[in-house]
Formats: sequence, C-alpha cells, structure tokens
Amino acid sequence: MELQDVFYNNAEYIETASGNKVSRQSVLCGSQNIVINGKTVIMTDCVIRGDLANVRIGRHCIVSRKAVIRPPFKKFSKGVAFFPIHIGDNVFIGEDSIVNAAQVGSFVHIGKNCVIGRRCVLKDCCAIADNTVLPPETVVPPFTVFSGSPGRFTSELPECTQDLMIDVTMSFYDHFKSIGGPKSKDRKR
Amino acid sequence: MATFIDVNLVKYICGCGKKKPVCKLYLCRHCLKIRCGDCVLHEVDTPYCPNCLENMPAAEAKLKRNRCSNCFDCPNCGHTLTTRATSHAVSNPEDPNKSTPKKMFYMACGFCRWTTRDVGIADKPAASGNWEDKDNPHQKRILSLLETYQQIAQKEKAEKERKKYVRRRSYLTYAAGMDKYGMVSVAAKRKGLLASPSTGGSKDEDTVISPVEPSDTVTTFEPLQDEIFTQELHLENMAGMSQRHAPPEFQPCEMTDLHPLHKHLLIRRSLRCKQCEHNLSKPEFNPISIKFKIQLIAMSHIPEIRIFTSPELNFDKECKVILTVCNPTSYNTNINLTTLEGDTQDDFSNSKITLPKDTIVVSRRDDAALYDVGSQEQEAQKDDPSVIAFRKANKVGFYVKVKPQVKEGDIQVSFMMKHDYHNTAIALTSENQEPQVVWLEQKVFVNLGPLKTQK
Repeated sequence: MELQDVFYNNAEYIETASGNKVSRQSVLCGSQNIVINGKTVIMTDCVIRGDLANVRIGRHCIVSRKAVIRPPFKKFSKGVAFFPIHIGDNVFIGEDSIVNAAQVGSFVHIGKNCVIGRRCVLKDCCAIADNTVLPPETVVPPFTVFSGSPGRFTSELPECTQDLMIDVTMSFYDHFKSIGGPKSKDRKR
Repeated sequence: MATFIDVNLVKYICGCGKKKPVCKLYLCRHCLKIRCGDCVLHEVDTPYCPNCLENMPAAEAKLKRNRCSNCFDCPNCGHTLTTRATSHAVSNPEDPNKSTPKKMFYMACGFCRWTTRDVGIADKPAASGNWEDKDNPHQKRILSLLETYQQIAQKEKAEKERKKYVRRRSYLTYAAGMDKYGMVSVAAKRKGLLASPSTGGSKDEDTVISPVEPSDTVTTFEPLQDEIFTQELHLENMAGMSQRHAPPEFQPCEMTDLHPLHKHLLIRRSLRCKQCEHNLSKPEFNPISIKFKIQLIAMSHIPEIRIFTSPELNFDKECKVILTVCNPTSYNTNINLTTLEGDTQDDFSNSKITLPKDTIVVSRRDDAALYDVGSQEQEAQKDDPSVIAFRKANKVGFYVKVKPQVKEGDIQVSFMMKHDYHNTAIALTSENQEPQVVWLEQKVFVNLGPLKTQK
C-alpha cells in the first residue's frame, strides 16, 4: 500500500529553507544546540531537549507526535554529565516514544510507545517494535528487530531495509502536505 | 520498511511456488529466477556478539559454543549485564590499622537490578572479570560421547573414501554434509595427506572404537519428602521456567543458583542460489556494516506493484482500483499485464480483474532527479487517461477494474506481469556490449481488503 496523504494546517507548522517541517506546538529546548539536517518532520507535542546537550538529527527523519528526544546522562563520582545524541538519516520515531539513546544510526524504525534507555546504541538498519522498553546501554545490531520488555532480539530484517526505509521516509515527507496555503510545491495532482 | 507498512498485501510467486512480499525475494541474475529465503542456501559468514559487536571466525565461535566470552546476560531478566566498580577497603598486611581502598568489580543488570552479589559471587579485582563458569556436571559424559562419535565419523569417512576416492563432491554437499561432527578441518587435513589415494585409509580400519557405556535407564525416583507438602513455598525464591531453561546444563530451581550467562552470538549470513551456486547476497565482513558485496534483492530488479489507495469495493460491481508500479532499474521498462491462464489459476483469486491491454512504459529510476526539484524532464508519454492515473518519476499509477465475487472476507486478485529486464550480469564479461534484454514473467497476488461496509 502506498502511503496516504496526511494534511496539516499551514499555520501549525514552520517550514525551514532546508525543508524541515517543525510544529509550532513542539517544545525545542535550547534550540541553538539542535541541528536538523533537512526534510525532517517534527510533529506536534514533540519535545527535543537541546538544553541538556547537543542534538543532531539527520535528513528525512520523522519524529511523530508526543515523541521525546532527550540526551542521555551518565552518573560519575562528581555529579552527572550529559552526552550528545546523534540520530542518522531516514529514521522514523513513532508516537509517544522516548529516545534517550547515545546514538541512533540511519534507516532505523522506532515503533510507537517505546522507551529507549540511557546510552543505548542503535546501529544502522534496525527496528524497535511497538511498546518495547530497551534498558540502559542496550546495543541493537544492524538488521535486527528488538521487542518486549526488556527489549530482546526477536527477528531479523530483510537485506533491503535501507531501500524500504528511504522509500517510506521520503514518501512520508512527500505526503505530509499542508492545507490552506499555496506554499507546498507538489500540489500538481 | 517491513515493520511500518504492510508489505504482505502484494505478493509475488517465488521459483519454489511460495508467495512472498517483494522485499523478501531475490532475483538470481544467472538463472533469472525469483528466489526466496526458503529456497536458497544459507551460509554463516561471521558470528558476532550482539553486545560488543566483536566478530570471530566460525571455528572459534564453535569452540566457544556460539557464546561471547566477555558479555553476559542477566539470568533473571535476560538483559545484558554491565560491570560496576566499587571501592573496597583492604587492610594493609604490614599495618593492620591502615586500610587502602581497592577497586573491585561486580556485574549488575540495568533493568531488573539483579547483581552478582545477590547470589554470592565474589567481586573481582579486574574490570574484565575473568568470571569463571560453573563446571558442567555432565562434562565427562559429553566428552566421551563426542569422542566416540568423532571416531565413528572418521571411520565412516575413511570407508567412503576408499570406495570411491575419485568422486568429486560438489562444494555444497561437502560443506553441508561434512560439518555434522565438526569434521571439516579433519577432512581437509585428510585430503591433504591423501596425495596418493592408495595409501589413504589403510590404518584407520584397524582402530578399534571403544564403545561408550550406554546411559542408564531411570526406573525409580526417590519419593518426595514429607516437607514438600507442609513447608510454605516462597515463590519469589523459585526460578521461573525461562530462567531455568536458559542454562540447560544446570537448570537451577532456586534464585540463589542463578549464574550469569554468556551472551549468545548472532550471525551475518550470505545466501547462495541452490541451482547455479552463485551468491545472491553477501554482506561485508564487518557486522556493523550495512553494505553488501553482492546484493541481488528483487526490490532493485523487479518492478514493484503496490495498491495506491484502499479502494471502495462493492459486491458484483465493477470497481476502479488504482495500482502503482515502480521501476527500480536504470532502464525504461515495458510492462504487460495479463490474467492468469486457466491452468495456472489457483485458489487465491476470488474476484474478476480487468487489466489494461496496452504495454505500460515505466521510466527509469533517476537518483539525481530526487535532488533536482525543478526539473520536468519527464519523457513525454502519450497516455490513455483511462488507463494511466498518474506518472511520477519512476512510478506509474494505472487503473484496473475489479469485480468482487465474494460477499465476505478480503477481495483477492491475481495476474501475470511480464516485463523486460536488462541483464547487466552477462554484459560485464565483454565490454561495449549492450546488456542482454530478457522478458521475465511474475505472478502477482494482490489482497485488496474487504468490501465497503454497507450502512
């Protein structure tokens, strides 16, 4: 099934020069520390905590409603330290998920309602099933699906995961259209 | 992505007769047949640890029983254990009044808070731990059995070789058949020794295989003690089923017997066509890499059919359905759609489908066009608007007419897709040669979903 059009109110989102679509209702703390590389969608009620540490998000990512991206911390003998969080390209983060990872690779799908614990490392081309809890410091290798609580390896992804993720995230962006504004370019059909 | 969109609505038929979504299929460029995971040969490329991502050769992994030597799983919840450091006061042997702090390490689970201290495992002075494993109570028996079977296998091999030492085995049967008792290395050595076949195998006949003592049959059990009926059961002290079975050699009954478990290894595998023995998929050696040396997935060779929107279907009425076809190759592709003939019809299809009669030309995939927003270099196609719904880059939407003939359940249709395919695999051998064009036929099965509900 091809992805269906999702419409948003033009006033609700800000479209940047690089094609990012960021909801006005999202909370971006410490926006000077947040880098979003382009054509990324940040939906309503998302929280990105740039005030804790740097947050870098790649191209063609989708951060669904109510998702939280929060740099992880580590306790040391003298207090805590926050680490930057890097999210690669073509990453899909589902609704209500909390991402505390140290690194999320490219072509990763995080399902709905997940908790990604502190300093988890999600390598490229992996997936986290809906309602998964990844405990702190979990490593998710490429081409694996983790699910359950605690999240464990349950299945493998096909070799073409990269192509599928590119296709889905790009067409999601193309189908994420505004109503009530002539700004959108691809309104030919 | 296989976890986000429903890929199972449109299925293609594999060479082995199974219906699979296109993302799970491969195209062998040498036999030009569709293959799926069930009809190819899987080969273990690199075993690796999913936690430390360290890879090792298959022989070493076998020696370590396919477990990582450094990473441990929590015996309580199954999550990976992490090493924690504490400082520990050690009394100075020279001056008993002074004590020096010393770093000690133990392992803890970040999920269920289980620690190695819970079960009385002493802290270690080194971060790497050198955590000793429990001794398998059946170690001796297993070793003696293993030894005997290795001897038997060796003897059988020698006998076989003596009979027909000239028969060349295919690589495949060699690898699959020989590894039963860990004999690959033994057999390879033997092959080297057997330079002149007449000398081989003469000594092994005489070796007498020492028989293992047969295992005893358990006939009687000790009767249960009376306390078991009277004593209160503390469920929180008993290990659960999965906790018990995680270490099959010990099967601890009580929580205090739990011991950290070495982490299981995962594997990267390569796939090989069973017929022509060419590789269909070969990942890079490094388990972190997502690149492939060889990757013949159907997604990048076969036009992909998808349903455009969930259609409105009414019983026994001709309904218009938009399907899309996407061309992943770098050549324009012609596509002909035909209904399946009577004899190839199967029990999948339950409705009538009317397909476009003309050839549909799908333009090639152009990666550069994705970044070039303004370009309109769409090769002009004279399209019949009653057939073609839209064109966009390498994708075409076309109309088919479906007449549902069942009142309940999902409407399912099937058809044959014939498309031309530019085979670049053979053209590589001689340069400046046009790639060979072949016509491939794919049987496509589409699940259009249920009828529109009447209100």
